[in-house]
Amino acid sequence: MLFNSGSFALFFALFLPIYFICRRHVAVRNSLLIVASYVFYGWWDARFLILVAISTSVDYIAALGSADKPVRENDVLKSASFLIVVTIASLSLATRHDWWLVAPVTAGILIIGLLIALIKRVAAPSQPKCWLLLSLTTNLGILAFFKYFNFFVGSATILLTTIGLRVQAPTLSIILPVGLSFYTFQAISRTIDSYRRQFDPQYSIINYAAFHAFFPQLVAGPIERAGHLMPQFETVRPINRQQITTGTLLFTWGLYQKIVIADNLAPIANVVFNAPDRQTAGATLAAVLAFALQIYCDFAGYSNMARGLARCMGFDLMVNFNQPYFARTPSEFWQRWHISLSRWLRDYLYISLGGNRGGNARTYRNLMITMLLGGLWHGAAWTFVAWGAFHGAIQVVYRVLGINSLIERSRFLTVHGFVIQTGSWLVTMSLVCVGWILFRSHTFGDAVIVLKDLVATTGYSSEVFLTLFAYSAPLVLVEIYQRASGRLEFLTAGPFIVRYTSAVILLLALIVFSAPAGQQFIYFDF
Amino acid sequence: MIARFRHWSGKELSSLLWHTIRALALVVYTALLAEAFVRLSDPQPVMPRYVTGTAWGVRGNIPNARYWHHTPEVDVEYRVNSQGLRADREYPTNKPPGVCRVALFGDSIFFGYEVDLQDSFAGQLENRLKEHGIPAEVLNFAVSGFGTAEMLQTYESYGRHFDPDVTIFSWSQTDPSDNVRSDLYELKYGQLVRVNAEYLPSVKFQDMLMRYRLYRLINDNSQFYAFARESISIALKNRLEFARIASLTSLGRTGDGPASVNGDSDILDSWHRIAKDLSSALVLRAHDVVVADGGDFYLVEFPERVTRTQIAPTIDSLSTAALSRIKVISAIADLSDAARPDLKLFYEKGEGHLTPIGIRVMVDKTVRVLSASPQLAACAQRSRTVLKTSNVR
Repeated sequence: MLFNSGSFALFFALFLPIYFICRRHVAVRNSLLIVASYVFYGWWDARFLILVAISTSVDYIAALGSADKPVRENDVLKSASFLIVVTIASLSLATRHDWWLVAPVTAGILIIGLLIALIKRVAAPSQPKCWLLLSLTTNLGILAFFKYFNFFVGSATILLTTIGLRVQAPTLSIILPVGLSFYTFQAISRTIDSYRRQFDPQYSIINYAAFHAFFPQLVAGPIERAGHLMPQFETVRPINRQQITTGTLLFTWGLYQKIVIADNLAPIANVVFNAPDRQTAGATLAAVLAFALQIYCDFAGYSNMARGLARCMGFDLMVNFNQPYFARTPSEFWQRWHISLSRWLRDYLYISLGGNRGGNARTYRNLMITMLLGGLWHGAAWTFVAWGAFHGAIQVVYRVLGINSLIERSRFLTVHGFVIQTGSWLVTMSLVCVGWILFRSHTFGDAVIVLKDLVATTGYSSEVFLTLFAYSAPLVLVEIYQRASGRLEFLTAGPFIVRYTSAVILLLALIVFSAPAGQQFIYFDF
Repeated sequence: MIARFRHWSGKELSSLLWHTIRALALVVYTALLAEAFVRLSDPQPVMPRYVTGTAWGVRGNIPNARYWHHTPEVDVEYRVNSQGLRADREYPTNKPPGVCRVALFGDSIFFGYEVDLQDSFAGQLENRLKEHGIPAEVLNFAVSGFGTAEMLQTYESYGRHFDPDVTIFSWSQTDPSDNVRSDLYELKYGQLVRVNAEYLPSVKFQDMLMRYRLYRLINDNSQFYAFARESISIALKNRLEFARIASLTSLGRTGDGPASVNGDSDILDSWHRIAKDLSSALVLRAHDVVVADGGDFYLVEFPERVTRTQIAPTIDSLSTAALSRIKVISAIADLSDAARPDLKLFYEKGEGHLTPIGIRVMVDKTVRVLSASPQLAACAQRSRTVLKTSNVR
């Protein structure tokens, strides 16, 4: 179900009154949230609810075990019951052709049951590690199979063929479940935090399942930390008029970013990236800029909608984008872009690899590994890996040359500082855009063509840039205002008439300028 | 209620009054803001439809209506006579001696949206026929939004009483879906069957609104209202069409009997076939009725603009069997020859109707075709005889 669809509007209109009625009873409210979230997710494909339930059931007990809390038979039973109920419900909605799923699901459940039994026999001091391994294996196993199986097999086949071995590799027609990378990462994060004693998991599968499948952020984040979001599922959330007003405004701004800016700019980028060999320099430059804005508004728009919806329900989700295109260095860009993923990669990968504690060489190695895997997280293609490697490499270069500290030391209000900061911003944005070419291109060959087109000097026409300007100018003005005022939620500032006028203009812009052809959220594919 | 207010203190009443005034002020402010926003950011054509219900169950022009359309390209005044025809005069039902009548049935293109009366198809055709020595009177029965089913209904119940020598129906891209959506006729095992007595979408609601001067003021002048009305109208049309597709395809009622429908493309194919078969049957019925009345029947194809120099045909949405029986006036080649990058044959910022230049090309072709009409030739002959007789007297 897409936030910008009629079916979601109907779903939320039916859901919200019931939610308000039962919001004061934590167990009832969370049960309602589970049902609503599973309906929301199952609307796309009910079969994949089983994966959400597997991740939920395993991580419920794995987090308890990782935190060195006793995993009682009662907990295993609750976990297994939850998985069985969801599996039956999911398969009852599937067609007869999908009944073969019963066999692998049963086998999977039996294997997990066996592993749990084995872990319980392991010596007590090693048990938390085993529970953590169970969580990692389950979540990364699901991710590896559904997202990367064909990629790895295909890459291995190419490699073997290159060295002269003829192999007939098996390929499966696997559907990538929506939001898989997001909810598995969130589940892993909770178990690791429990293992590190940074989070104390509680004995309620209802509360955990509601957290795990919370529909505003289930399919495209933010990837929340249990320490921030989980306690909110364990208490009655206060809701007041201001929260509903600001939540609605945040949702509306997110919707504007998505259906007015991102969807209207998408065709400019699509034309070039779908046939890069037939383009002029002007069209290519416009396409690269359009894609940079499209992906920002698409993803930041979704995050804002998710935060707005959650706020209307009394929940607080983290800020996922903090004006990334104001970044002056690549590392600052990653502190502002997809913050929940950046922090996840930093805390669970970069720091686990040693961070910057083992000297410069190890720091650079850790940075490169983190960014490579971060690139791979975005998609099963070498272009994404190259994109991650590119970002890793430019961060290493900035560190080696000491550019980060030079920029930090400069003061914007002096002439010298202004030149340094503006120049570094321009360089960073150019590098980010080059990265987007790798990210958006179907192949490396296409990326090279786009880069070649960019440095040509012919074929600049004003028409395409006018469209780009028309849709990006309001965003630029808003971002400048946000930057100057320090308020990301710009629609809640000022006296009533200013706020009211801004809200009405935003709604009118939504009505008048919505793109005729809606586009899928880009990050749904990751 | 009033008794309840009597118990209120002055402070409470003034608070209520203040809140009411504030709410009203906010409504007015929002409306003005919306209007200003649309005018500044994306100027819209204001093209109100002055239609109402008729005694024969389909829409008709509001008699004696006088209204305007404003687009970024044109400002046009429309006058409808008491008979519901776009004209600046009345027509006697009985055809005067020595007059050849041509009746036009169509939608907004024939009605002459975005062009003045003398530049409309009817206006230009009448003048051109007179130049060719035919004392023609062109009666414009067109109503915006009409499909072939409504044209046929208007001809059978109203237009034929004016005894036209030549009857011309328009054919445009919207007709196939209009014909299915209106649900006036249906094909049952190859036979055209009347299934509903009337098709008056939103007419009662609009009639009710048109009684209020404030609504007429907004309807005639507000760009925001024009935008909202058009958006809602398109959404409703799509929904109605979707419902019709669902009902027709799931019931398997097609021109040739039950159909098997598998998947979206089959449903779409099935829908196109239903629309094509139904429209072809309607055009043939119109042809047969007109011919049975002693008139001559023509179908004018209005093509679609792709670009200024590219024009696409629309007649291929009728069956070849139907096209082999009726006389089609197609000016695709003439329009393509006339098309130039610096010349507008179609308006581009309103609703894309033909410009006076585009209509002139269409009319030139129509006159060339009509010059071979036996009925028109016979009528012209009779007129000359009448003229001679009156001169002798």
